[in-house]
Amino acid sequence: MDDNQISLGVEQEEIPDSFICCVCLDLLYKPIVLSCGHVSCFWCVHRSMSSLGQSQCPLCRHEYNHFPTICQMLHFLLLKKYPVAYKRRELQILEEEKRSGCFSPLLDAHGCSSQASQDLHIQNNGTAGPKQTHGGDYDGIGNVADEEKNFPLNMDSGSGDRISVADAICAACKQLSFHPVVLNCGHVYCESCIVKPDEQMLRCVVCQSSHPSGFPKICLVLGHFLEEQFPKEYALRRAAVQLKQADSKHENPNACATKADTQRKKLSPWSDQVHIRFGCDSCGMFPIIGDRYNCLDCFEKKGFDLCSHCYNTNSKLPGRFNQQHTPEHRFKLVRKDSIRNQLKLVIGDIDDISLALIIASISSEGTISPDAPEDAENRSAAHAPSTSSGDEQDESLTSD
Amino acid sequence: MSGGIARGRLAEERKAWRKNHPHGFVAKPETGPDGAIDLMIWQCIIPGKSSTDWEGGYFPLTLHFSEDYPSKPPKCKFPQGFFHPNVYPSGTVCLSILNEDSGWRPAITVKQILVGIQDLLDQPNPADPAQTDGYQLFIQEPAEYKRRVRQQAKQYPPVL
Repeated sequence: MDDNQISLGVEQEEIPDSFICCVCLDLLYKPIVLSCGHVSCFWCVHRSMSSLGQSQCPLCRHEYNHFPTICQMLHFLLLKKYPVAYKRRELQILEEEKRSGCFSPLLDAHGCSSQASQDLHIQNNGTAGPKQTHGGDYDGIGNVADEEKNFPLNMDSGSGDRISVADAICAACKQLSFHPVVLNCGHVYCESCIVKPDEQMLRCVVCQSSHPSGFPKICLVLGHFLEEQFPKEYALRRAAVQLKQADSKHENPNACATKADTQRKKLSPWSDQVHIRFGCDSCGMFPIIGDRYNCLDCFEKKGFDLCSHCYNTNSKLPGRFNQQHTPEHRFKLVRKDSIRNQLKLVIGDIDDISLALIIASISSEGTISPDAPEDAENRSAAHAPSTSSGDEQDESLTSD
Repeated sequence: MSGGIARGRLAEERKAWRKNHPHGFVAKPETGPDGAIDLMIWQCIIPGKSSTDWEGGYFPLTLHFSEDYPSKPPKCKFPQGFFHPNVYPSGTVCLSILNEDSGWRPAITVKQILVGIQDLLDQPNPADPAQTDGYQLFIQEPAEYKRRVRQQAKQYPPVL
C-alpha cells in the first residue's frame, strides 16, 4: 500500500545502507541505539524484545534488559538529512500506531527532555561552543536562536536545513561527538568523555538516569556519518582526543556486565520477581524484576509502570509510549500474578488439565526468594490505595 | 503492537532481492491460482556450488514465514525425503542460523539464509544430524554418500 506513496516520485533522497533498519529494512525511524552500538527503529527494537527475560540485539544477539530511549540526536540528524523519506516513515508509522492504539514518544525539538534543545540553550549562553567557528560548513551556531523559535510553529522545522556540528555535539564536552556512544537514555557522548565510576552504574550527566548495560560500545553508524559530514572537524576531534589519551594514559574500561545483569540471567521467568510483559516506563527495564508500581490514573492501553528503583527516585516522567503521565498520578504496588494467570497471558487459552501439568513442572524447578511478597505488601500499605491481590492483571499491556 | 511488520519487511526483502541477488538463485513469493501474491511463502531455488558433488543441482526450497517474522525465523523446507545429514525427513532444514534460540537474528536476510543453506549443502554438520540415512552414509560410507549426492543433483536439473 505504501508503494503508492513511494511512487509519487517524491523520494529522490538516496538512503545509505547504514541507515536502513536491519529489522524492517526501511529508513530508521525514531532510532534506538543499543549498548552494543547497533541501531534499530523504536518499534523494531520493542518488537524484538523478549517479554520473558533477556532480550537480544537483532543484529549481534548481544543481551540486554532495558528498552533504551530514542536517540534524539540521530532522530533529528535523519530528519534533517532525509526530510522527505523521514516524513513518509512518520506518516506510515503513525498510521500503524493509530491502528494499534499505542504510540511512540513524540519528539519535538522544543521538548524539555530533548538534548538538542538543551544544548542549544547552552550555546546561546555562550558557555561552550566548538572552537573553530570559521569553518566553511559551519552555519549552525549563528542562527540557533531563530531556529529554536521556529520549532513549535513549524513541524517541519528540520527539513531542508543543513546539518551542522551543533546537531551532533557530545553531552559532556559540547564538541562534535567523536567515537559516539549512546546511553540507555538516548543521550550521546564521545567514548572518551565517559568515565565509569568504579562499582557503580554509569550515569548520564544530562538526565541523571543510569545506564544499566555495562560500558556502551561506539555507535559506528553514527560515528561514520559524522566523520563523513564533518571530515575536518572530526579529524580535529580525533587528534585532540588522542592527545588527551596519550597524556593521561587512561584507557576506557572494556564493556562489562553489571552485577544485576548476571543476577538476572539466573532468574526463571516464572519466578515471583519477574513481571512478564510489563516494562518500566522510566528506565526501560523489561520485563520488570522485583516490585512493580502501576499507575492508577493513566488510561492508555499500555498502562504506565515503574520498577521499584524508579518509583523511589525522582524519575517518573514521561511514558515510553507517550502516556500522558503526570507526577500527581497515584500508583499501586502490584505483586506478581499467579502462575496460572501468567501462563494464560503467554499461552492464551488452555484447558485446566494441561495448565496444571505445566504448573507442576515449573514449580518443581524451584522459585526464588520467597520473602519478597510479604515485604512488598508491607511497603504497599504506606504508598498507595493498594489492591495488591494482583489477580486482575488481564488487561495486559501488550496483549494482542 | 504486534500488528506485524512481517509483510512490510518481506516487501522490502523482495525489493532488495530484485535489485541484486546471487547468481543462479531464485526467490519469489508464491502466486496463487488467481494471481494473488502470498508474501508469506517464498519458492526458492538454491544452486549446488560448482566443483562440489552438488554441482548441477538446482534444489527447490520453500520458505514459510510466520506473522512473527523477523522476530522468528522462517521455516525452510526442501522436498520431503531430501538427502542431506541436516535435513529432517519432512524436508525441514536444521541450521543454527534458522534456530530462534541459537543463531537466528532478525537482521538475517533472505539472501543470507539461502547462501547459508547453499554452504550447508556441501558442509554438513555431523554434530547435529536430522536424518539417519544421510547421516550414517556421511559418517560411515563416504563413497556411497558421494554417489547419492551426485545422483540427487541430477534429479534436480536447472529449470528453464
